[in-house]
Amino acid sequence: MRDSYFLAYATEEKEASVLLNKFDIQIRDAQDYAVIETEGYLNDALGEALSAKAHTLIQDGQTRLVINLEKTALINSIGISILIEIIETLDERNGTLNFCGLSATQERTFRMMAIAKYAGIFPDEQSAIDNL
Amino acid sequence: MQLSTAEETIQRLIFSLSELEQLGQTLISGHSNFSVSSKTYLRIALGTLQSTRGAILRYHPVDNHLSVAAAAPERRDGAEAPFIPVNPEDVAELLQHPSILISSPPTGLEGFFTRHEEVCSAIDARLWVPLKIHDELLGILSLGRFLGRSQLEEWEHELLTILAHQISIAIAYSRMMEGVQGEKFRLFMLAESAPLICQLLQPEDAAQQVVHQAVSLLDANAGGLLLRDAQHAEIEWKYTFPETLAAEFPSTIPLDVDGDADGACSTEKVLADVAKEGKTTQTDTSEDARLAAENIMAVPILGRDGDVLGVLVVGDKEERGGRITAFTDEDAILLDSFAKQAGVAIENAQLHQEALEARELQAEMDEARKIQENLIPETLPDIPGYEVAGLYEPRGAVGGDYFDCLELSTNRWGLTIADVSGKGMQAALLMATLRAGLLSEVAKTADGVNPDEDTAKQLCDMALTLNSLLYASGTEEKFATFFYTYLDPDTDTLTTLNAGHNPPLIVRKDASTQWIGEDIGGLPLGMFPNDMVPLIADYAAEQVQLNSGDIVIYYTDGVTETVNIADEDYEKRLEPDALEASKLPDPQASNIIKHIHDAVITFQGEADQFDDLTLLVLRKK
Repeated sequence: MRDSYFLAYATEEKEASVLLNKFDIQIRDAQDYAVIETEGYLNDALGEALSAKAHTLIQDGQTRLVINLEKTALINSIGISILIEIIETLDERNGTLNFCGLSATQERTFRMMAIAKYAGIFPDEQSAIDNL
Repeated sequence: MQLSTAEETIQRLIFSLSELEQLGQTLISGHSNFSVSSKTYLRIALGTLQSTRGAILRYHPVDNHLSVAAAAPERRDGAEAPFIPVNPEDVAELLQHPSILISSPPTGLEGFFTRHEEVCSAIDARLWVPLKIHDELLGILSLGRFLGRSQLEEWEHELLTILAHQISIAIAYSRMMEGVQGEKFRLFMLAESAPLICQLLQPEDAAQQVVHQAVSLLDANAGGLLLRDAQHAEIEWKYTFPETLAAEFPSTIPLDVDGDADGACSTEKVLADVAKEGKTTQTDTSEDARLAAENIMAVPILGRDGDVLGVLVVGDKEERGGRITAFTDEDAILLDSFAKQAGVAIENAQLHQEALEARELQAEMDEARKIQENLIPETLPDIPGYEVAGLYEPRGAVGGDYFDCLELSTNRWGLTIADVSGKGMQAALLMATLRAGLLSEVAKTADGVNPDEDTAKQLCDMALTLNSLLYASGTEEKFATFFYTYLDPDTDTLTTLNAGHNPPLIVRKDASTQWIGEDIGGLPLGMFPNDMVPLIADYAAEQVQLNSGDIVIYYTDGVTETVNIADEDYEKRLEPDALEASKLPDPQASNIIKHIHDAVITFQGEADQFDDLTLLVLRKK
């Protein structure tokens, strides 16, 4: 779990990047699960924002998450490391994380980076929710 | 100072051993990310030492500062994160001490703690234990007040040293694993990129994927691809990430751009130089407000033959925390390796596109050829007292040649030959339009002309109508040269109208020759609107009388502009060859055509020809 003031610091530092690459995060918080949908380049900026949303949900007791990457065509190594952090945090709370909307390359990347070992990968949001 | 009882001490030692075991398990659990595991380490440290407040600070050597990785209690008030700048002297001093009492720091650190008194107070720092491996500072374990006592006992200090060492190993392990994960990701992306980008056959798709992969591979925040246009000595943006970036730059950059003279920024000059010199370059672009990037790295993209196809550029490498850092030499090698794959992919896509365009062009040409061939009559009518023969021979690209002999009414004939500018489908369609217009015009009257009106004027009016039709149908570059002959066999007169066509040649029986319409040729059809025609060269018709044995030879410029290997054209040879043909033992129209055709082919020799060859011959028996 990340401290809120650490996040504030990180966000201020990457202002220039945020100006360059627009991103968006949508949360669909159902009673027994939540879906986080990202849009844009999953780099440090979007990754930290995603991490903050995920940790807020986890702090509030939501440990069944789906991350929908359908609108995220591009991920860098920092984005990957942040996803691993979220997986580890959920793992500490015996939570479950499923991904959906991955491109074929992203899916291969996730399998190679062992993300698929600790999180499910599903073609669409509904099947990701159904398999939480 | 109140000392613990022996029993309490033993109980705490047992607890500490248990916690140390948990700490070790956390370390080997596979949770490599210190951002996650730091909270566990802090909880174990505080619990073991019975401290109520504390923090783990992580040292960032790139920009020399300490930041909070974990804190207890956690702050959720949204306050700005403690940020402690550390200079190299401070680092050297911190490494000298196994632990530092904040209330009475060593002499060399008094100034440091005075400067950061507020921050230390915010995290309730009372005792700092530098976290290090050998002589490298990794962070600080900061402890607050201790439960029921003001300071640690000696055995607790020893325990603290073990804890600090374990946490240091965790940080080092985390850092190493971050590096390994990053390298694993990059190697995978590099290996994955080749098949991905090489299978893209659309140049636009290939350009986009190349930029996306490069940005992702280098942890960059921006990127772009420029391809070289050798014809114009410039490089052109094909794709940028983010896409909005392209709007900040001119779409093309001349290779000889001069930052000072042309007012172009140095970024453009750097990119042009990479394309010219083929060398990888890194540069500071913080002065270029358009780029919104602090630095860029550009590599040449080479084709199979080693020519520079273009430039791949990435900007603003980021590190965890969003800070922008310089590209390293390893990054340059990585991007260079990727650019080699990109070169193959781009060249493949370009070749595919060229093949596709060639196929489309060929299909269009085939279709145009069919239209063209349908316009040319398969047979020509028998004209009493005359012979008429025609030849159309395609050569190279499809031109817009046309000839015909129209039976207008009983014993009235219209002979025409025309040539549309340009090639291919457009030329074929324009010629079809001209033919349709011509048929429509001659059908207006029973004899092809109104016998009560002046024939020459009627032909001039017809030319204006056809001019108007073609002008409305085509573009400025599309026009047709057109020669029309109204033949009245009853009087053996030809009334001719020339709209910019090559003048036909009459070879008389007495071997004299005459070029028809040479001096009164009007404008080609479709070149100017009707109201401008009289201002430039109005249409006019002339009458020619034919006698027995006279031959009229119509032709297109494919005949006269045939060149030989010495680059001479055939034009001057037409008249003598026509005279020669007229003296054939059997000078039928078809024999005359064959003779001239053979003469043209002999003249041409091995030289390539690109225009169709069309001949129409009328002979008065």
